[in-house]
Amino acid sequence: MKTVLCFGDSNTHGQIPGGTPLDRFGHTERWPGVFGQVLGKEWHVIEEGLSGRTTVYDDPIEGDIKNGKTYLRPCLMSHAPLDLIILMLGTNDLKARFNQPASEIAMGIGCLIHDIRELCPGPGGHCPEILVVAPPPMLDDIGEWEGIFSGAQPKSHQLAHAFEVIADSLEVHFFDAGTVIPSDPADGFHLSLEAHAVLGRALAQEVLNIGWSD
Amino acid sequence: MPDMRFAPPNPIRIADRASGMNAVSVRSYNERLVLSLLLQNEGLSRMEIGTRTGLSAQTVSVIVRSLEQEGLVSKGEAVKGRMGPPTIPLSLNPEGAYSVGISLGHLHTDVVMIDFVGQVKFYTSLPIPSDSETTNHSKLVETVRQALDALPDKQAGRLAGIGIAMPEDQDELALGPIGMADRFEALGKEIEDAMGIEVYVQNDITAAAAGESMFGAAKTLDDYIFFYIGARLHHRLVLNHQIFQSRVQESKPVGLLNLEERISKTTQSPQALWQRGQDWPDYGSEKDRWVADCVNSLRESLDAASQFLPVSTVIVSSYAPSDVCIEIADKLSSCTQDVEVAAGHLQLSPKALGAASLPFSSKFTVER
Repeated sequence: MKTVLCFGDSNTHGQIPGGTPLDRFGHTERWPGVFGQVLGKEWHVIEEGLSGRTTVYDDPIEGDIKNGKTYLRPCLMSHAPLDLIILMLGTNDLKARFNQPASEIAMGIGCLIHDIRELCPGPGGHCPEILVVAPPPMLDDIGEWEGIFSGAQPKSHQLAHAFEVIADSLEVHFFDAGTVIPSDPADGFHLSLEAHAVLGRALAQEVLNIGWSD
Repeated sequence: MPDMRFAPPNPIRIADRASGMNAVSVRSYNERLVLSLLLQNEGLSRMEIGTRTGLSAQTVSVIVRSLEQEGLVSKGEAVKGRMGPPTIPLSLNPEGAYSVGISLGHLHTDVVMIDFVGQVKFYTSLPIPSDSETTNHSKLVETVRQALDALPDKQAGRLAGIGIAMPEDQDELALGPIGMADRFEALGKEIEDAMGIEVYVQNDITAAAAGESMFGAAKTLDDYIFFYIGARLHHRLVLNHQIFQSRVQESKPVGLLNLEERISKTTQSPQALWQRGQDWPDYGSEKDRWVADCVNSLRESLDAASQFLPVSTVIVSSYAPSDVCIEIADKLSSCTQDVEVAAGHLQLSPKALGAASLPFSSKFTVER
């Protein structure tokens, strides 16, 4: 039995595009659900998606509870032992209030990877496999979110490369979700039902490609 | 002091995707390890790569992803295992890299271009220039250019280099026009200057053995004895992938030159002996006697070597027609015990193909 933690934001939570955090796709519809179905009974999939979650920043408006770094450690300890941790974050770091370039957002991902490695929440105190997933780029039209995400669109196109650089230098698995799914036009940065299904299947294949010895 | 964990990231692999193939200097040992493995085996899963290289799953993941993006490695269709999840087999992308090989001989110069898995994309054979010609092999650079023209535009940057198989056997060099050896020596630099492409030079017999190790009959062999039937008969010892050449340059006079002498005494023309990729006419008993002498000589060498070498495989290579090569291998096999004898797989021009393997081993494999 393998345990995998899906640590992400609203797009891991399954928030319906154009909706609120309470408008959520069903268990089997959002990507961790699809992912778990493809992987089968031998895999235990834990969903940890929070709307508005950042990599390492206390959000001055939404609150410090949205800081991925502070929540990650107790979250890892709660769910240990973990065989695999999937990190899919970065979209919220693009908000104007954080004013960070793509490379800094990637550094935030790097910081989370270091925290995981320090804690070693894998079986037998080993370090689990880590898969960094870059979110698909935002669409140009993000409607009323334009103010909050002012200047985010061009940076969102740079995230995948910046994340890959970090994944490469820290030697962790990497997947660019933008190669298989777009953001949904309803709000320009959430994922449609179809996108969740495609992403869930693609990530399952990615995880199987890692090769697991037992 | 700053915490170096949070220094700017230092990716091993993805420096700049725009430039296509990464520069040689940044190809890490681990990457070469993975490429070497894929040169020997096709269709390995990431897990198999990890097990066989000892690299962690995440390191393999980083390397494979970047080799894929560079176009050096490609994914196959998912294979459903007997148990467990389907796996994706990885292989070298034939179009990922190309290489040119040149073999210099006393009668012909062979030029080949091969792709990353050793398939011949271009082949031609030029007569060597007469000693009255003032330039050094002017046709050669032109021919190499023709070979490169055979590459589609977008793949022009995928040429790993040019390899030259250099004859060093004094008896064979003496067969050519005066000054040939010096001209050959100078060619490497001349080609490099004229074309701006890296040139790798290697002893011709050693190059032919290297070719069999990379693409041919010796692909999966660690140790073997290599015999090459050229104008004369040559041998090399390969131990743990390293090709050894004895300090004494010793070839034996039972090669094709010897067969030519025998045939010349009959009414037949020996000319077909020096042609590439062409079957010989029926040389009858002259050929049979030559084969017997050749096998005898090989057996003597093998007997001598086997007294102190734990080698159980022999590869017999030649540009002579493959049925001749196979006949010699079979006859040698039937008069030796506990030794497996196989004909080389490289045909047309094993030396030129071997020469073409040199840039690949220099750029993509681990030094062994």
